[in-house]
Amino acid sequence: MSNSHLFLKSGFPRAPLQNGLGRYVCQLQRLTLKFCKNNGSSRGMRDFIENHLVDFAKENPGIVVYVKPRRHRTPVLVGEYLNGDREWLSCRNSTQAEITKWIELLKTQNGSSSSLRLRKMWHTDVPSIQGPWTPFLLRSPDAHSQTYPSTEASQPFDVPQTATEKLIELFKQQKLEAGADGVDVLEQKRAE
Amino acid sequence: MSLLRCVAGVIALARPINNASTIQTQRHFKRWVSPTLRELAHRVKKQGPQKPEPRSGFVEWNYRSELFAFGKRLNEEFQLPLLQTAFTQRTYAHQEQERQRMLGIAEADLQTADNSQLAAKGAHIAKAYVEAYLQHALPKVPSAGHQAIASYLLGTETLAHVSTHLGTKELIFSTEYPPSSETLAQTLQAIIGALADSSGVERAFLFVRDFICTQLNQKDLLEIWTPEQPLQLLSEVCTERQLGEPEPRLLGDCGKNTVLAAFQVGIYANRQLLGKGFGENVQTATETAAIDALQTVFEMHENRRPFDFRMQLEAKNVKLG
Repeated sequence: MSNSHLFLKSGFPRAPLQNGLGRYVCQLQRLTLKFCKNNGSSRGMRDFIENHLVDFAKENPGIVVYVKPRRHRTPVLVGEYLNGDREWLSCRNSTQAEITKWIELLKTQNGSSSSLRLRKMWHTDVPSIQGPWTPFLLRSPDAHSQTYPSTEASQPFDVPQTATEKLIELFKQQKLEAGADGVDVLEQKRAE
Repeated sequence: MSLLRCVAGVIALARPINNASTIQTQRHFKRWVSPTLRELAHRVKKQGPQKPEPRSGFVEWNYRSELFAFGKRLNEEFQLPLLQTAFTQRTYAHQEQERQRMLGIAEADLQTADNSQLAAKGAHIAKAYVEAYLQHALPKVPSAGHQAIASYLLGTETLAHVSTHLGTKELIFSTEYPPSSETLAQTLQAIIGALADSSGVERAFLFVRDFICTQLNQKDLLEIWTPEQPLQLLSEVCTERQLGEPEPRLLGDCGKNTVLAAFQVGIYANRQLLGKGFGENVQTATETAAIDALQTVFEMHENRRPFDFRMQLEAKNVKLG
């Protein structure tokens, strides 16, 4: 993050006033075009005002457009939003097409986007759908009928098999495999 | 300041014209610029924070265009005189009358309309529609709940919030700036009244639905209305709806007689689990469980179906009285 971002307001993408849920309200309420009548840097702005401004105002009756000529100053676009934001854009040496695009941007955003650093690209009002954790959350149903103290529940989850147990198991397996004959063999061996 | 400017202008005029061609372009800032700016900044700091300037004081301001755009922005057809009346506060109207009287204008011309009548009408419409909407959207919630939610929606805070986000702040004729939240709320009501007068009650209803009822979206209804003595209310509701007598039962406990004790209680009625809750002792757990059960019974859980803001209530269902 660069130094210029330190004082930048940060936030999340939000629709003001649940916009678009009932009906859509264009959030740009005022647009001021400031330009010079004879300076070269305002040429694109003058072209825009001559060719497109009336059409723009007719298409967007909800945006109040002010045109403010002033001598020997840089052309400027100022957008004012319903949430109180004010966005200032320098259009020095911009062409008519560029100005059209900038105005389109001002028209379609919620507030001054250049003065807000987005912390995340999404936001939710309800981060947890489970609610707070309790000891009873996702508990096994067996736990209800358990009586304490119980030996089963007091044991650790993984008790490793001892060597004696393993030997006994091997011996039993051998006996099974040998079957009925095996019993005789064992008897004989014991007799010896 | 203007005097200074005049003097400067006179001096400039008095200069011989042929001087203009021999002007040297400056390549440096004058030595006095920095100390002057510093002094000005110092004085500004000494004066403390200033009140915000009203936008209407700027050069680029046309009230008529602003009023026209206000209606168009909301996709509504307003009669501009009515809309202007809706933006005029009573105190401001009185102030204007006083000023006119001071200037000696005849009494017959002192008819400055204010928005109190429109606001009363708008408030009535908004209240009727919001109540009808809640009746339709939350049919199982009792009337106490409806009242609480309606008073939240029609309260000064919510209305002022809606009003500022519709851009009324700069348009209001009021004695104070920025306008107080009561003024903003009253203006919004007056706008609803003006809309009903301009393009019919139906449009006013839709306006209320789109801008006021939508404030319920994603809100936790329990925060707006929490029933007091939930267990008692639950038993009343259960007998009314014939669900059987509600009975709290201990489902589990953990760490009894310790600082971190936790109890879980379930509420059963007619052998059916209505809701469960937990708490640090049995009493709190029972209350939480009762609230949970009430939410289930009233169908106002947070995971309920979202509100439908597209439905159109028929005008006959809205009791305008």
